[in-house]
Amino acid sequence: MPDNLRLAVFLISILLFVVIFVILIKGRMPLKFALVWLIPAFLILLVSVLPNWLMHMTEFLGFQTLSNMIIGMLFVFVIFVCISLTIIISGQKIKITLLIQELSILKNKIEDLEKKERGE
Amino acid sequence: MRILLIIPAYNEEKNILSVYRSIVKYNEEHQTNYDVIVINDCSKDSTSEILNMNNIPHIDLIHNLGIGGAVQTGYKYALAHGYDIAVQYDGDGQHDINYVKNIILPICDGKADFVIGSRFIDDKTSSFKSSIFRRAGITLISVLIKLVTGKTVKDTTSGFRAVNKTIIQLFSESYPVEYPEPITTTELLRKNFILEEVPVAMHERTGGKSSITPFKSFYYMINVILNILVVRFRRYPHAR
Repeated sequence: MPDNLRLAVFLISILLFVVIFVILIKGRMPLKFALVWLIPAFLILLVSVLPNWLMHMTEFLGFQTLSNMIIGMLFVFVIFVCISLTIIISGQKIKITLLIQELSILKNKIEDLEKKERGE
Repeated sequence: MRILLIIPAYNEEKNILSVYRSIVKYNEEHQTNYDVIVINDCSKDSTSEILNMNNIPHIDLIHNLGIGGAVQTGYKYALAHGYDIAVQYDGDGQHDINYVKNIILPICDGKADFVIGSRFIDDKTSSFKSSIFRRAGITLISVLIKLVTGKTVKDTTSGFRAVNKTIIQLFSESYPVEYPEPITTTELLRKNFILEEVPVAMHERTGGKSSITPFKSFYYMINVILNILVVRFRRYPHAR
């Protein structure tokens, strides 16, 4: 791995860490979800510091080139992120439905009570 | 026995009043007291005004939830008010109030936990059976339910059905968002609840527009088939 590339990868991983920490400090993302991004940031850092294990892994998995393996891994990672996002969205949808239902039932109750008060 | 008719309504300004009046009239003539709750699923037309002006008991959902979410609101209402039987009843005039007594009878007698009003039990009762494609779809779902639960359900998509108190509680806890009828039927059968199908007549819509398109029918079949298969592999540790 050329030194220029290692430096670039190193800087990118640092940038990722900084961005995620800023988001965390501002309280715009809970740690649970930030972990999804902190783990790959750490992996990228690892690549720039110790590039050799990537070569071994490329050989072991049977990829022709290192770049092929990285793109393949990234693709798998993105799919996992998408699935986890779908799960989160589905959970939120259930909660929103619950809120709409309970709020609507409450509204109906209040309106009934108001009608009774007015003596209708 | 306290009985509640749950009527989901979305853009039913043309039908909802006549449907409600037919129930009130039936109650007067037969000394029954079926209660009604209309769940207005955030209709865009004047359904809400009609419900208010005519003092029809109703809940206005503050946002559109779709049929599953609307009907479930009705079950939550039934649970909160201690009803013994909840009957799902269409707001578009397809269902006939005279059959409600037949639908609730097996539950009153303790012979069944839930009852489906079926168009296909005998040929005399119902003149309206919907198109050949829909019937083919209904038969396919019926075969699948038979494979998954070992029990025969003829009218798998009927929205005219009654459930007892235990199931009211279950439905308030969880209810499918889309196309709930065949899925909940399969689930209840897997949980060993007892089903009875009784013959009913259904009418064609008296007003308003049906929401079914070819693409929706295709999506419906895929959705229901996959859902039934999922139910097949789910575990129900607290089954009856």
